[in-house]
Amino acid sequence: MKKRTTESLSRRDFLKFSGAAVSFLGSLELAPEKTLAAIKTTIERRPLEFEVSPEDDQIMRMQSDLQRALAKPVEERRWVMVIDLRKCLGCHACTIACVVENKLPPGVVYRPVMIEELGTYPNVAMRFLPRPCMQCDEPPCVPVCPVNATYKDENGVVVIDYDQCIGCRYCVTACPYGARTFDFGALYTDETAEFEGIIFGKPSASAYERSASYEYGEARQRNDGDSSPIGNVRKCHFCLHRLKEGMLPACTTTCIGRATYFGDANDQDSLVADLIASPNVMRLKEELGTQPRVYYLT
Amino acid sequence: MNIKRFLYGLAGLALLIGMWGIYDRFVNGHANTNYGSYVVWGLWVAMYLFFAGVAAGSFMISTLDFLFRIPVFKGTGRIALWTALVTLAAGLTSIGLDLGHMERIWKVFLQGNPSSVMFQMVWGYTIFGVLMLACLFLAIRNPEGRLLRILMGIGLALSLFVSGAVGALLGVQAARPFWHVGLFPVQFPFFSFASGAAVMLSVLAFLGPKDDPNRKQQLWILGILSVVMVLVKLYFMWADYSVSVYGNVPQNVAAVREVLFGPYWWAFWILQLLIGTFIPLVVLLQKRLVEKTLLIGWMGVFLLVGYAVARGLIIFPALTIPEIESLATAFGGPHLTFDYFPSSVEWAVTIGTVGMATLGVLLGGEILPLYRQDRKKGKA
Amino acid sequence: MTGKLEPNVVETPPAMNTNGTNVQPEHCEINRRDFLKLAATAGGAALLGSIPFVQQVLAQGGEEYSYLLSLPENQIYTACLQCNTGCPIKVKLVEGVAAKIDGNPYSPWTMMPHIDYNTPIADAAIIEGAICPKGQAGLQTVYDPYRIVSVMKRKPGTARGAGQWITVPFEQAIAEITDGGDLFGEGMVPGLRESYALTDPDLAKQMAAEVKKIVDESDADKKSDLVTDFKKTFSRHLDKLIDADHPDLGPKNNQVAFVWGRLKDGRSHFIKRWINSGFGSVNAHGHTTVCQGSLYFTGKAMSEKLIDGKWSGGDKFYFQGDVQNSEFVIFVGASPFEGNYGPPYRARGITNNQVEHGMKMVVVDPRFSKTAAKAWKWLPIKPGTEAALALGLMRWIFDNERYDAGFLASANKAAAMAKGEPSWTEATWLVKIDEHGKPGKFLRASEIGLREKEIRPTSTDPEKTYEFDYFVSLVDGQPVPVDPYSEDPTLAVDGDLFVSRRLRDFIVKSGLQIIAESAREHSLEGWAEISGLNPNDLAEVAQEFTRHGKKAVADIHRGVSQHTNGFYNVLSWYTLNALIGNYDWKGGLSKLSAYKADGSKAGQPFNINKADGAQAPYGTSLIRHGEKYDKSTLFLRDGYPAKRNWYPLSSDIYQEIVPSIGDAYPYPVKAMFLYMGSPAYSLPAGNTNIPILSDPKKLPLLVVIDAFIGETSMYADYIFPDTMFLERWEFGGSHPSIPFKVQPVRNPAIAPLVPEVTAYGQNTPLSLEAVLLALAEALELKGFGPGGFGDYGDLTHPDDLYIKMVADLAYGEKEDGSDAVADADEEEMRIFVEGRRNLPKAVFDVDRWQRLAGKLWPKVVTVLNRGGRFEAFEKGYSGEKLGHPYGTLLNIYQEKTYDTKSAMTGEHLTGYAKYFPGPYSVTGEMLDDEKDGFDLRMITYREITQTKSRTSSNYWLLAVLPENFVLMNAADANARGLESGDQVRIISPTNLEGAWDLGNGNKLPMIGKVKTTQGIRPGVIGFSLGFGHWAYGGVPVEINGTTVPGDERRVKGIHANAAMRVDPYLGNTCLVDPVGGSAVFYDTQVKLEKVT
Ligand SMILES: Nc1nc2c(c(=O)[nH]1)N[C@H]1C(S)=C(S)[C@@H](COP(=O)(O)OP(=O)(O)OC[C@H]3O[C@@H](n4cnc5c(=O)[nH]c(N)nc54)[C@H](O)[C@@H]3O)O[C@H]1N2
Ligand SMILES: Nc1nc2c(c(=O)[nH]1)N[C@H]1C(S)=C(S)[C@@H](COP(=O)(O)OP(=O)(O)OC[C@H]3O[C@@H](n4cnc5c(=O)[nH]c(N)nc54)[C@H](O)[C@@H]3O)O[C@H]1N2
Ligand code: SF4
Ligand code: SF4
Ligand code: SF4
Ligand code: SF4
Ligand code: SF4
Ligand SMILES: [Mo]
Repeated sequence: MKKRTTESLSRRDFLKFSGAAVSFLGSLELAPEKTLAAIKTTIERRPLEFEVSPEDDQIMRMQSDLQRALAKPVEERRWVMVIDLRKCLGCHACTIACVVENKLPPGVVYRPVMIEELGTYPNVAMRFLPRPCMQCDEPPCVPVCPVNATYKDENGVVVIDYDQCIGCRYCVTACPYGARTFDFGALYTDETAEFEGIIFGKPSASAYERSASYEYGEARQRNDGDSSPIGNVRKCHFCLHRLKEGMLPACTTTCIGRATYFGDANDQDSLVADLIASPNVMRLKEELGTQPRVYYLT
Repeated sequence: MNIKRFLYGLAGLALLIGMWGIYDRFVNGHANTNYGSYVVWGLWVAMYLFFAGVAAGSFMISTLDFLFRIPVFKGTGRIALWTALVTLAAGLTSIGLDLGHMERIWKVFLQGNPSSVMFQMVWGYTIFGVLMLACLFLAIRNPEGRLLRILMGIGLALSLFVSGAVGALLGVQAARPFWHVGLFPVQFPFFSFASGAAVMLSVLAFLGPKDDPNRKQQLWILGILSVVMVLVKLYFMWADYSVSVYGNVPQNVAAVREVLFGPYWWAFWILQLLIGTFIPLVVLLQKRLVEKTLLIGWMGVFLLVGYAVARGLIIFPALTIPEIESLATAFGGPHLTFDYFPSSVEWAVTIGTVGMATLGVLLGGEILPLYRQDRKKGKA
Repeated sequence: MTGKLEPNVVETPPAMNTNGTNVQPEHCEINRRDFLKLAATAGGAALLGSIPFVQQVLAQGGEEYSYLLSLPENQIYTACLQCNTGCPIKVKLVEGVAAKIDGNPYSPWTMMPHIDYNTPIADAAIIEGAICPKGQAGLQTVYDPYRIVSVMKRKPGTARGAGQWITVPFEQAIAEITDGGDLFGEGMVPGLRESYALTDPDLAKQMAAEVKKIVDESDADKKSDLVTDFKKTFSRHLDKLIDADHPDLGPKNNQVAFVWGRLKDGRSHFIKRWINSGFGSVNAHGHTTVCQGSLYFTGKAMSEKLIDGKWSGGDKFYFQGDVQNSEFVIFVGASPFEGNYGPPYRARGITNNQVEHGMKMVVVDPRFSKTAAKAWKWLPIKPGTEAALALGLMRWIFDNERYDAGFLASANKAAAMAKGEPSWTEATWLVKIDEHGKPGKFLRASEIGLREKEIRPTSTDPEKTYEFDYFVSLVDGQPVPVDPYSEDPTLAVDGDLFVSRRLRDFIVKSGLQIIAESAREHSLEGWAEISGLNPNDLAEVAQEFTRHGKKAVADIHRGVSQHTNGFYNVLSWYTLNALIGNYDWKGGLSKLSAYKADGSKAGQPFNINKADGAQAPYGTSLIRHGEKYDKSTLFLRDGYPAKRNWYPLSSDIYQEIVPSIGDAYPYPVKAMFLYMGSPAYSLPAGNTNIPILSDPKKLPLLVVIDAFIGETSMYADYIFPDTMFLERWEFGGSHPSIPFKVQPVRNPAIAPLVPEVTAYGQNTPLSLEAVLLALAEALELKGFGPGGFGDYGDLTHPDDLYIKMVADLAYGEKEDGSDAVADADEEEMRIFVEGRRNLPKAVFDVDRWQRLAGKLWPKVVTVLNRGGRFEAFEKGYSGEKLGHPYGTLLNIYQEKTYDTKSAMTGEHLTGYAKYFPGPYSVTGEMLDDEKDGFDLRMITYREITQTKSRTSSNYWLLAVLPENFVLMNAADANARGLESGDQVRIISPTNLEGAWDLGNGNKLPMIGKVKTTQGIRPGVIGFSLGFGHWAYGGVPVEINGTTVPGDERRVKGIHANAAMRVDPYLGNTCLVDPVGGSAVFYDTQVKLEKVT
């Protein structure tokens, strides 16, 4: 509620500023204050009742795994991601889903998918390798941070505190997986045209890019200027803000090869626990002792 | 004296160019820089390491006067100290602009992580800077006092530490085999001393008081010191590269190949080896040329160019090698490339910092009692 | 920070969760600044009617810091249209701005199995299915800065395609189009009124009846006499005809054509209502043949039914594999991981099936596709020899007797039923061999005195009767009469499979005999040789194919159909499937099944096809489809070969439309409407369309309804903006790959970015519907306006149609309403309304919607809350069979096809699986460009990140793949001194310049970047679809005297369609499949020229 006063406040201020846009004032009658209030008070998220069967989409299995995990104390959970390379078809749905979910600007990517061609005609092969952050249990990126802005939080996820990060990029050089990228403050619509009333135009078009990203459960709008996360290093965070709501990571739900799995490895009944028990698991650059929490099935 | 005017002109011009660069950096943030998320550290970091080295180095030189009281170097201490301070300032400017959120730099002091080498370095240099200020103050007020000697002693230790830290900053990184080699951190104190010697060579040659009887001696010795250092540096380089190549870590081999035959081969062969090493080597080894102070001065500059390039060639190659095959082509966008050449803004700022340092040295000479004759006056 | 990450989903409802509610003031600060910037926009935006959008952005100012995207009130379920797969999606909104798109878990497209339809949407809010990268990027298509939001008119005094525009008020544009006049300072332009000549439906019906007589008359002289009579009978109305000497061409109304590219139901009903029953023109044509024409029209020929003794009623459809249940799959010219229908649905089925159940996959594709990356075998076939491979496999199967004899033996329904087979074939029916030794028509029982003809009542009218003549099969050598559809067990016929003998005075062969002989035209080695493959592979694949009973399938797509011999490629592969009888079986071939939403099912509340006083259009269509040339009066005039081909067996022949207008054959066209299609870009040799579209003399008026100034709309006289997929209604239907009965409903999720306009006094967003309504109002067309729906009320607003359709859908297909969906409860009602709180009244008005839906309203809400209707997973299957079988006669020998004569040669077509070496011209002349030094075969393919003209603006996708390449085998590259990154120009026999001629002196060289690979057959090069644009916001245009700069990210890469071969006989059209109608993409020989 307190929030809503700030909201109307900022609106009123705004009006003061822009007596000019008269036509605009009228439209504010449409402002859905009431319905908004309604939402904020009526929505109850009850736990879903599942009896998941083996025939169910693995998503549903993971959804119920997730609920069990969330019911446990944080420290008893062990979030891991499993990527089945036999099922990955290099479609990049995960890459883009992640970009959209987290409103990543040009030059920032959390989950690229590497594609390699091998062999010689007609005996050819193609390999696809999605690479989120490994959420290393021994993360080389953490100790190097001069201000403790990046650390392994109680979820076991390596997070970045955007308001603490000074943008020195030391952690980037420390990551053996290239999993960290720096936010240079660009927008995808930067180079596009404006012509109000004739074409849709940049100012309005950029709205979806600037609309809030919810990383770490903080709504941060992307506005011009250099307010964080601009000027920060950014990385995959296992979609903590979604987990919190009982939702699986965006890359996981949208994986059209059903190659990406997520869950609590400490839960013996969970899908991921089954999967990492199989003989064909491997992790990237294990020799570095980083102890990744992302497992690959080959 | 016209070399001075020449330098003033040069420095002033450089500063102007720098202004534009800094303006752009503040208006457009990091948008117009060419370092990115793969080549994370660019020219500015290289220059920071370079300046920091010079600072530590010229402090070491100043100890020749104030700590070890070596007669020939009598009177060179304060200008050396001052040069150290000025270059440190230049270095901090360079690194400050490189930060994504420089306004938060205070966090390193109040909310820092002591186990981070970067933390240690920032603290180290800050203390070092303060200490140098104190030394300079004493050196002007009471050069003969014990306190100065003590502080100079501590300072010497610190200068070794901080320049070592620079090496460690890179050296500790298992992720970057090219840096992750035994000798690595050790080299840096030598580098620093070397660049200290070089900078003093030009400072004294260009600006040093003509009437100083030790002048030729100083230049000759600093020259020889530089020659020795250059050779040591060559050795280190050979060591690094050969270790890398024989160790046959693919990433390293690639890195070395990048340096020697990559797109910027000329930086290595022409700037670092020819200009930064062999020419000074040849010139400085010839006693008779000591007369030609201008030439000696330029040799100092040449050496510095060489050292600066060397810093760059340590940082970039390690970063231009993808951590994972075909990462480069997986996702495109601004600042997502593995080949790096500094942008005009980066160059402008760098030129600016160099100008700033030069100007600092020049002006210091005008307003502060830094040179020998001044000390006579002080006595009188 | 720690606190913020504390998961608390179960404990605290997210809406009230207080995480981060401590607003950093800086956020508000910035928002205020932001407001100001947008305020500037707002003024204009207000006029634009896009206020809600702007205002929503503002509303974010004081945003609750919880994860708004997880709330059901912030989600609207609709359907993607980034590609034609049309996956159901959920759009997540932040104060009306679409912020994220995910898969709709209620639909089989994105979940397998999909969740129970009755799951409360409040629960589904945190469950999402899988969609492909394009779907994820959908926001960038809708929120495209270069979308036009104002009506564009070609600047008078400038040529079409000159890139000079003025914006005009909607009303003015409508008036000018209806009334014509000197609109562009280059002389009079005929308005629609002028062509709206025949407006009396009864008169039309009378004329149509007479014309039918003329057409049915086969004797030339009598035909001419009938024409003379016609002129007498209608002497007072001849001015209403295009050409009185050829009454069969129909009225002048036919000189207005409505053409579309991507169209779905709802909008299709709107358009057809306007152009057919409203304006009275027969010319409503889609893009099917540029897409996968021969796939559809072979399907049509295979599904022709014997109705009242005549072959008719074939469905325009095709089959796909139920591959998630197959044990063995052969993908031929199909790439379900990159294109197809579609990755989200098929990929999961395949990968799961492979990893969990060890399904084996063969990919037949000259290119090593991502699908091939997961295949057991990759067969890099020689393009255009698909039938040869199929026949090779069939030969092995015949020789080794590995076919499903039981299935093939069933000669009629009764026999099939006895075996539990849903479908059956003519495999055993006897076919007469004609005088040229060519298999011809079926033997009839009466012809050999086996059984006399029977008098039977007609299907439509029991009063009328027709003569039914039995077919004949041999049973143990004895002829027996066959009634195809009889369910009477005593009439069940299991015939002899292989028959070749004389019967009375006929030489007869069984259908299967004819096919087997066709398969034996070459040895296995011979066939392998032809298709450039290894005979052992053929044998292995054939063996594997026949080792899994009905759980093996060959799934085919464009790579098979888009050849000059496309029809026969498709028929051969479908026949191969018939040999193992996998039709209608789990893991076999499947057909689509979609709920009807047009009220055509008994009991459904609104039959929306109803239009009082509708026109009765008649006459030969502009593209001459569904009619036989030799029956037309033009045949009397021209004889063989016809000036252009006729297409009795297919329709929607996209590549025929503009060139026919260019040749004024069969008649000139006065005005063409083009909706959501871009023939210049998408057609093979689409460049041939440009000079015609640019020439007002050939085409006096060109009106395009398009969201962009695109590769084709740039040649328009008028461009009307449109509502895009997140803003509009459509009923997406389904695909054969999906065995479940479904009907996704695309419905408005965001406030339209286009302004509102008025028609019939109602506000509507400027869109296709607005244009049709306004034109209908101006021309006073029947079936529109007040009372347009007769007793169902008015058609003055799009909702009048669409809400009715949703009501029909919600009601279901059972007359008694027993399969209607459940009513929405209060909670779902609330979520429904709140979810749409940011939609303007012109789009969403609860009262209006409720009124239109009537008592079905709560059910309508249930359907819309779920973005459509999707039956339960279990219903897709019944035991080992598919739940919705094709279940009838499957024509593997086609009498109707044989009975059709080529308009070029006058010869009978072939009605069974056969290999015709290609490529050939429409007249059948073989083309050999290789001998002229065009040493590389060019193909094209899909990347999963791109479509044709929609995704080149998706900057997120461009980050993954910024441009396409000229893909070639490393060996071919070396041989030509090329390497990756080199620039090459593509030159073909019909484009020696290797450039797009865009008119007005603009040329776009066809230059692309080489990418060498091991993954393509040597001698073949490929380029992917979706790049190489030359408009679409990528180049500057002048509007109202101001230059709008282009964004060059949108025009990267190469589009080599202009290199695709032009048919030597037609001259202005790409190569075609003269039977199936396909536009041909893969049969062009080219050469590369290095550019330095
Ligand atoms: N080289 C090559 N060419 C091909 C293919 C290939 O594989 N390779 N594939 C072929 C196939 S399968 C097909 S189906 C055809 C499709 O070809 P078309 O049916 O011509 O469809 P598009 O090319 O997608 O044209 C879409 C047009 O609609 C416009 N548009 C986009 N969104 C909207 C909207 O919401 N409303 C309106 N009114 N207009 C809109 C776009 O600006 C564009 O002008 O392309 C064919 N072309
Ligand atoms: N990403 C994406 N997906 C789409 C669409 C899109 O635009 N983009 N469009 C949708 C539409 S409209 C359609 S029609 C479908 C089409 O779906 P598909 O037909 O499956 O896709 P295509 O890429 O056109 O062709 C399939 C394969 O045929 C291969 N091929 C090319 N030439 C030949 C040949 O001569 N012989 C053989 N055997 N194979 C050949 C190509 O390499 C390609 O791998 O895709 C739908 N899905
Ligand atoms: S960039 Fe930010 S997170 Fe990374 S080390 Fe520097 S301060 Fe820490
Ligand atoms: S992958 Fe890189 S960024 Fe992620 S935790 Fe490991 S080291 Fe840190
Ligand atoms: S877990 Fe979330 S942040 Fe990480 S890659 Fe997947 S979508 Fe991106
Ligand atoms: S979405 Fe799934 S299949 Fe597609 S690239 Fe990502 S991991 Fe692979
Ligand atoms: S396949 Fe992708 S682009 Fe096509 S409809 Fe589905 S999600 Fe949209
Ligand atoms: Mo298509």
